[in-house]
Amino acid sequence: MDKDKITNETPKKQVIETEVPMGTVHSAAIEPYRIRLFVEDEIVKDAEITVGVNHRGVERIMEGLPVEKANSLTEKICGICSNSHIWNSVLVAEKALGIEVPERAQYIRIIMEELERLHSHMLYLAHGNEVLGHETFSMRLFYIRETVMELLRMIGGNRVQYGVSILGGIRPRADLNQMRIQKINEGMDFVEDKISNFAERFISDPMIMSRITGVGILKKEDALRLAASGPTLRATGVSIDLRKDMMEYDPFEFDVITQDDGDVKSNLLVRVLEIPEAIKIIRQAVKNLPEGGITNRSWEMYDTPITKSYIEVPRGKLYHSYALEEGRVRHSIVRTPSIANIGAMEQACIGCHITDAQLAVVQCDPCFTCTDRAIQIIKL
Amino acid sequence: MTIVDSLIAVLAVIGTLIVAFVVSVWLPGIERKLIQARIQQRIGPPLSSPGLMAPIKFFFKEIINPNSPMPKLYNALPLIGIIITLFLLMIIMPQLYPLAAFTSVIALVGLLKIEEVLYMFMGTLSKSVLSVKMPFPDVVKGAKHPEVPRSFIEELSSMRAFRLIAFGSFPIYLAIFIPVAMAGSIFIEDIVAYQQLHGPVLFSLAGILGAVVYFFGFMILLNEYPFSILKTKADVIEGPLLEYASKYRAYVFISRGLLIFVLACIFSTLFLGIPPNILSWTILLNIVVTLAFTILMAIVSAFSPIFTFKQFYPVVAGISLLGVLGIIASFL
Repeated sequence: MDKDKITNETPKKQVIETEVPMGTVHSAAIEPYRIRLFVEDEIVKDAEITVGVNHRGVERIMEGLPVEKANSLTEKICGICSNSHIWNSVLVAEKALGIEVPERAQYIRIIMEELERLHSHMLYLAHGNEVLGHETFSMRLFYIRETVMELLRMIGGNRVQYGVSILGGIRPRADLNQMRIQKINEGMDFVEDKISNFAERFISDPMIMSRITGVGILKKEDALRLAASGPTLRATGVSIDLRKDMMEYDPFEFDVITQDDGDVKSNLLVRVLEIPEAIKIIRQAVKNLPEGGITNRSWEMYDTPITKSYIEVPRGKLYHSYALEEGRVRHSIVRTPSIANIGAMEQACIGCHITDAQLAVVQCDPCFTCTDRAIQIIKL
Repeated sequence: MTIVDSLIAVLAVIGTLIVAFVVSVWLPGIERKLIQARIQQRIGPPLSSPGLMAPIKFFFKEIINPNSPMPKLYNALPLIGIIITLFLLMIIMPQLYPLAAFTSVIALVGLLKIEEVLYMFMGTLSKSVLSVKMPFPDVVKGAKHPEVPRSFIEELSSMRAFRLIAFGSFPIYLAIFIPVAMAGSIFIEDIVAYQQLHGPVLFSLAGILGAVVYFFGFMILLNEYPFSILKTKADVIEGPLLEYASKYRAYVFISRGLLIFVLACIFSTLFLGIPPNILSWTILLNIVVTLAFTILMAIVSAFSPIFTFKQFYPVVAGISLLGVLGIIASFL
């Protein structure tokens, strides 16, 4: 009797017709990840994403390094949001050591972060259009993004690894003079104009709208249950943006962009509409840039317990933690936003045509390489 | 017909085929460099690269055997495609009109059908390395569904090729039927003669509708964006063509360029009454029509995303409806 009861209570296992494995090398996926699509008549019934092929163990490498070296190493975690990583690792150390940062340095850090958000969102939109098969829009976005990349190079001296934030402020070469401020303003005018034109054409294109509307739907409840973060969460109608809780963003006015449908269209629109908000923040920061020093050098190193910091980066919530001992890192944890969004990506694939599955993954703006470098996921 | 006439006819056929080869190698370059790259504000490849230099390069590459149950047949398919395309061109040449049954629309449709079916054969005969089972931890450690039979991405392509044959080729056949209905004959010779007497089919309402429908059918047959679900890079990448390497990939490139030229020539024969003939200056008009088709196709592709079947079915249904209207108009 008991045995029957147990048998009856066992959940019925979903019978899957066919599996289509993609990756770890696939032309539509820029990064190395593996997705197993369980399909019936080309409709995805379930999906499973596996990452971990690019593991570098950055957290373990950082242990034992002087904190300044560890900070520069965090920048190597991601090629797209490198500034976010170094900024957050510096923020953790500053928080742990009680270092005051000059206001001018705070403003320049914000400018860097928002420039990075601009180029990350434009890269996302370009990649999304490439997966859609619309090469012209993709090329157009790369062309607009180039202006932002040049601004980042002007400030940081490099197009990928800027190394702007250091303990107590920013590097001297990243300080802004009048010529640089003028170039930033001109760049923002250009990007704002071109992106508004792009958005207008994008939204009014019936073929694009047909491909992205109602595809890869992630419901609000699912997004919250799966702990999605960043624009992926906001595309489901949840108005959460950590920037509103960060004291670094207190001087700036901006809106939190949300969409309600949770599909590819909503995800794309959230990013498109976040671009003018980022420009708004940059304009405010440049206009009200305080005078004064950019680095506070009067601080001392001492042992600290585990200190944590969360910031809002282009893809969502980024977590860093440090514990310091004799000026070196004793403990370090990095959690990139994509790790939180993997569940959302799998969920978004369900119900899609197999051709739209990559699109459903890409809509969550994955950055598996940076996720891989820091951590390795092992299923038990 | 004297021996000299026969000899001239044979030389004319060979000459026209040579012209077809010479023109077709430049078409992919025109498509990608002059049109798409310009629209996309980038430099693009050299004009000779996609159609001429790339096949030459592939001819000298090391031969790699495809992962296929019948590799020799799989490798032979692009060559068969080229031969069929050449036959398509020969059907519409005036020198071969004496072979009445061979130069009819029935033969044209039959050869086009074989051209389409080749993709299905390619799909079923190919199993790319991208789908080969790899020993991944997710298979052995707590995978969601560990023992599910696997499908190769080429098999998906093959199924899509079947759907394209069943549904996607409606427009081109409907469009071909319009000149047939107007001329009242299935023979190419009669269709050309009808147009020499009454003016080109294109200059009628039915002809205009037919031209529009033919153009979309042309794009579907070439698997060009937005109708390239057979080789969309979002999932099946190159689809049935993925495993072709070295000279066999060169054949694929040559076959595509040649097919653009031949389909444009079929259009100029059926809708303008100008068959490809090296002995006449009108061969220049065939080349102009080919260029027009290439340019239009490149523009449409540059501004389109890839359709999935959700978009593909209604669009093809709409175009086919236009074709039916064209046929009705041809009887008026």
